[in-house]
Amino acid sequence: MTAARPTAALFALLLWAAPPAPALAADRLVVDLSSDEVAITTGFTGTELLLFGVKDGPGDVVVVLLGPNRDAVVRRRERVAGVWVNGESAVFRRVPAYYHVASTRPLEQIAPPEILAANRIAAGTLDLAANTRLPAAKRAPFRDGLIRNKTRQGLFGYHPGGVAVQGERLFRTTAVFPATVPTGPYRVNVYLFDRGKLLARQETTLIVRKHGLGASVFNFAHRQSILYGVVAIVVAVAAGWLAGVVFRS
Amino acid sequence: MQIYLPIAEVSVNVLVLLGLGGGVGFLSGLFGVGGGFLMTPLLIFIGISPAVAVATEANQVVAASVSGALAHWRRRNVDVRMGLVLLAGGFVGSSLGVWLFTALRGIGQIDFVISVAYVVFLGIIGALMVFESVRAWQRQRNPAAPRRKLHQHYWVHGLPLKMRFRASKLYISALLPFFIGLFVGVLAAIMGVGGGFVMVPAMIYLLGMPTAIVVGTSLFQIVFVTANVTLLQAINNQTVDIVLALFLLIGGVIGAQIGARFSSRLRGEQLRILLGLIVLAVCLRVAYGLVATPDDLFALGVPGGRE
Repeated sequence: MTAARPTAALFALLLWAAPPAPALAADRLVVDLSSDEVAITTGFTGTELLLFGVKDGPGDVVVVLLGPNRDAVVRRRERVAGVWVNGESAVFRRVPAYYHVASTRPLEQIAPPEILAANRIAAGTLDLAANTRLPAAKRAPFRDGLIRNKTRQGLFGYHPGGVAVQGERLFRTTAVFPATVPTGPYRVNVYLFDRGKLLARQETTLIVRKHGLGASVFNFAHRQSILYGVVAIVVAVAAGWLAGVVFRS
Repeated sequence: MQIYLPIAEVSVNVLVLLGLGGGVGFLSGLFGVGGGFLMTPLLIFIGISPAVAVATEANQVVAASVSGALAHWRRRNVDVRMGLVLLAGGFVGSSLGVWLFTALRGIGQIDFVISVAYVVFLGIIGALMVFESVRAWQRQRNPAAPRRKLHQHYWVHGLPLKMRFRASKLYISALLPFFIGLFVGVLAAIMGVGGGFVMVPAMIYLLGMPTAIVVGTSLFQIVFVTANVTLLQAINNQTVDIVLALFLLIGGVIGAQIGARFSSRLRGEQLRILLGLIVLAVCLRVAYGLVATPDDLFALGVPGGRE
């Protein structure tokens, strides 16, 4: 979630649409996404979405993007007789497949750790103690390994200063989805903090799904795998036969 | 132009796929080899997961072998009886191989086993090719050197269940070709190859088959064994990427035709030395991946072998 290109027109429109006098907590924060869907099409190489919103006064904004929960396996590579093999492994249950945090300032300046933890906001160091049966002493290196790998793949990230604010009221950030983005429902949680207190919270959702030919092939392969295998063979035999006929003449 | 591969779940440049297919196809047309043993490591080098590379390559080998097998069939260069015995072993071996593949994937060791299999087999085959070709080349210059005897008799010829193979002019135990087929079937499943590079020397040196029908019979059984691997990989692991296979195929078919036209212009022994060196180079690259210290000592795996 790096700073986005200026989109003045969008912001002007947003000002218009913003509710006039916010009274309830939910009204103190209004957010929207440039699209509520990420479509993985045949030419997909990753994409960006713009998240923008308006708040009713001063305060810090924290945006948390959470992907669907998946089990994760982390393996430690060990050197055996000169070659590297996969050694000990650890399973983390129901870990967000995508987890990005962006904020107006570094998190530790926004709110005390216990308030952040209560809202599952973490500066790139998710505490996954509840997700694994690993003893505490072993947990840390495997958890760090998981987060490091996910960060390298662009699936985890922490972006202090990634939320840009204009004129105390408008804010925006960019969510980056790499080509390997996991499919499923995503939650977008936006928090408004002021002087260490949570003032408002807004949640919106988006969905990442495969589209077009790629989606059909994937579903076919997973739902009717026997038929898919037969089709793969028939296509290969036909292509091979055709090539023989074409180049013989 | 990037394309998102639906099963591999990565974006790859179409030109890279066509280039790989064309390049390996050119070599296979030039040398008359399947090319699977070069394509699978190359796919892994460009970032396709080993599981998808192996299963998809098996599918591509089906296509690459069909036209060759049909051409040999028309010329009656196939010993059907021998082919069926090899195939019986091949079905058992490749089914065993896919089962082993699925189990190894579950415990996170499949990438390692694929790499080791490639280092061992590419190393042996590459070294033998270079060695044999250099010797043959020297023999051409010095015809007085001793020649190797074809069709020797080993202990294996004393095994029971003898069968007559008319086309091969052999009367040997059916167990021998059955177990050769079985062994090559396991290799086909784990390495994503047709296995011609093991099958052809085994047929010549172990079975003593006449060279004229060796390639046709080998291709005949490769078509069915790789089809079996494709089906079982699709059912057990869902790792066959039809889109990837098709792009490799398009490049491969064109490359093979160009390669076949070039092969008549080059001398056989020098050509074999060249192929041997290419095989050894790929072997070294795979071996480097095994011994080089990884950037990160922790890696993510696939939970339970399935998602």
